[in-house]
Amino acid sequence: MTRRQLFLLSGAGAILPSALSASEAQNLAYPLREIQGTLTSPDLFFVRDHFSEPQLSLETWQLRIEGRVAHPYQLGFSDLLELPSKKVEAVLECSGNAANGSAASNGIWEGVPISYLLEPAGIDREAAFIAFEGADTGRLFQNSPSLAYAQLVPLEKCLDASSLVAFKLNDLYLPRRNGFPARALFPGWYAMDSVKWVRRIMVLNSGDRQCGFYQSGMDRVYNRVVRTDDGPRITRLSAIQVKSVIAWPSDKMNLPAGRHLVWGFAWSGGGAIREVAVSIDGGRTWNPAQVQTSTDRFRWARWSYAWNPSPGDYVMMSRATDSQGSQQPVQRDKTRKDIYELNWCAPLQCNVR
Amino acid sequence: MCARVSGLAAATLFVCATGFGAECPPQALTPQEAATRLKQLDAAAQSEMRQRQYAEAVRDYREASCLAPDSAPVLYGLGVAEAASGDFLAARKSLALADHLQPSNVLPLAMLVRVNFSMGDIESLKATLRDAARRFPTDGSLHAGLAEFLVQNKLFDLALAESLRARTASGGNAGSRMELAVLENTVGAYDDAIRNAVGVERQAGLPEAVRASAAGVAGLSYESTGQREDAIAHLREAIRLDPLQENSYLALAFLFEKAQRYGDAVDILQEGRRKLPRSTALLLPLGSNLVRTEQYQAGIEVLRDLLRQSPDEPDAYLRMADAYRKTDRPKQEAGILRELAQRKADYPMIHLLIARAMLNADPADFPAVLEELSLAEKSAPSDAGVLYLRGKTYAALNRYDESAAVLERAIELNPMDASPYYQLALVYKKLGKVEQARQALGRMLVVKGNGSQPESRGVN
Repeated sequence: MTRRQLFLLSGAGAILPSALSASEAQNLAYPLREIQGTLTSPDLFFVRDHFSEPQLSLETWQLRIEGRVAHPYQLGFSDLLELPSKKVEAVLECSGNAANGSAASNGIWEGVPISYLLEPAGIDREAAFIAFEGADTGRLFQNSPSLAYAQLVPLEKCLDASSLVAFKLNDLYLPRRNGFPARALFPGWYAMDSVKWVRRIMVLNSGDRQCGFYQSGMDRVYNRVVRTDDGPRITRLSAIQVKSVIAWPSDKMNLPAGRHLVWGFAWSGGGAIREVAVSIDGGRTWNPAQVQTSTDRFRWARWSYAWNPSPGDYVMMSRATDSQGSQQPVQRDKTRKDIYELNWCAPLQCNVR
Repeated sequence: MCARVSGLAAATLFVCATGFGAECPPQALTPQEAATRLKQLDAAAQSEMRQRQYAEAVRDYREASCLAPDSAPVLYGLGVAEAASGDFLAARKSLALADHLQPSNVLPLAMLVRVNFSMGDIESLKATLRDAARRFPTDGSLHAGLAEFLVQNKLFDLALAESLRARTASGGNAGSRMELAVLENTVGAYDDAIRNAVGVERQAGLPEAVRASAAGVAGLSYESTGQREDAIAHLREAIRLDPLQENSYLALAFLFEKAQRYGDAVDILQEGRRKLPRSTALLLPLGSNLVRTEQYQAGIEVLRDLLRQSPDEPDAYLRMADAYRKTDRPKQEAGILRELAQRKADYPMIHLLIARAMLNADPADFPAVLEELSLAEKSAPSDAGVLYLRGKTYAALNRYDESAAVLERAIELNPMDASPYYQLALVYKKLGKVEQARQALGRMLVVKGNGSQPESRGVN
């Protein structure tokens, strides 16, 4: 037996830094240029925790399905593994990811459709939302009670065939820091709704307020705030806004004159990426990039642009357009008063010598 | 637990019940004659099964099922015989009917799992497992048996599910607990794996080989949680408990390598070699670590020993080449790489490696280097590394114009590699093109100025 065989057999293949558990909330992201192909490997997947990672046991993990249902029930990890599952390739992006940030990752998720889990419970006709609760707990604000991380997702999104309780990422079990043993997954939506370490699914009517989502103060964050003449207009974040980033070269990099391949990724919650354009003059002119297109609407697209610059100083930008015609804005909407959906075309300086 | 009723089972039962009636000829036997005939058929079918005469067994069980259409044992026997004869569709119907007739018996369900697996019908297999979980939640031996079957057939997700059920149902015996620990370690449930593995490791009444395996799993799980000293302690305990388990030495050496404690890796692998002198698995890491600890000749001898026994081990050739390079023996380096090329002609970039070794010889045989690079270009026509070496070789042969051309192409392919710029600057200087030489050097400094930035991929 070779050592490779030994470690595949015994599971040492899972010895990754990512597997290490953390006693404090983690905030990790990795340069996108390290990604080979289009899938983000689990050890390069971004992490945004609110509270410290919970230590969960497969033998005792339970997912409760309750609230406005006729037959509340709970299932264990064995049940989850033995239910019909499906795979979805999808981007997750932190809603506060910077315009040129790397808190976005793309993977193939495997799990059980949430609609399938809800079916035997028999949801109330008046049900409008579902609260997803994780096993991680803490205070969201100094004056709020210590509660489990929770998010509220409209029922319609939960019933979408692509919305999962996921237990695998790229054919491996979820790393602990990405929600092991199971997490919610809402492809096309910002990542805060894809609750990690999920342990409770609570069906709610539109008037229900008795859940951790409200009590913890979560309803006061992850909102889009737009200044209007009538005062601020507040709406909940949901679908990922169309965005592209340049993975290579990086900002302020010095390049020798000659031919280079500029490349990056583009994604949108509104539809598959249709085109990406690159500007080397700060947005005055745009040139089409080559895009590895896909009809799969939730995954990101890798794009590249062959560039043969002469010596000089350049300001590079990329701009994506999705299948719905939504295009990345060149600048931040000045009426926005929040810190989310930072999808404008981020400029990057490049010096060629 | 989800109380979903299997629609498949109900549909199968319906098809099954109507199917059997249609196949049975009219009966003219008295009840006593029928009972005697049934007994004969059952005995005959069992004997045929033992003799692997499955078609005959199916025939006899089918006749028996006509005489006793409500007999669960007969239908179970029929299902098993049909499965053995390869008629999985019929087997599934017979077993589903047997299960329906005697729902307290676990055997038809267990057999259905096997039949669904043989049919490659994973969704039906999952449905059967859910049915088994719903109806027999406390039958630890059923779930442990299913887990074992699923592990053997590499359905590790479902094996984990059944192992967890077995553990919940009855705590599990040492074997099933070990199996669960291995699966938990594989999926990343390290704390669970440690708890189960250490539980087995500490059971003094168990065979030491079993305890050693448990200690090994505990060691690997501790390593995954970042507790390296605990990991090392458990792997040492594994070796103490069963010094003849090769994997324990390999795993401990691997941990030492990760910690860059190459000397400790050598020590543990040499200890393993003393205990297991016929092991070949220990030789590659031992040889590699001897080279890492600058014990070059000893490393070469161990690797040569490995290649005598197992000549299809590319890493052994490469480690030996590394040892020869570090001891300034380019001819031997090229020689061992040629041996690899003879053994595995399609080994990636082997001719580039040989050419590089040949260039280090003094004096170098430049025409032979160019021949080797031509071979490399056949498998990788646009490789910047090959072009760079070709440019270097042309320069050594004073063919400066050709050298400049291929070095420019190498830069085009990989503009963020500094080496070709430097070589190009030297070539331009030889050609009297001072400004171009200066420009090439300037670009080399630009590339180097980015520190550890990764290389870009050039445009082909």
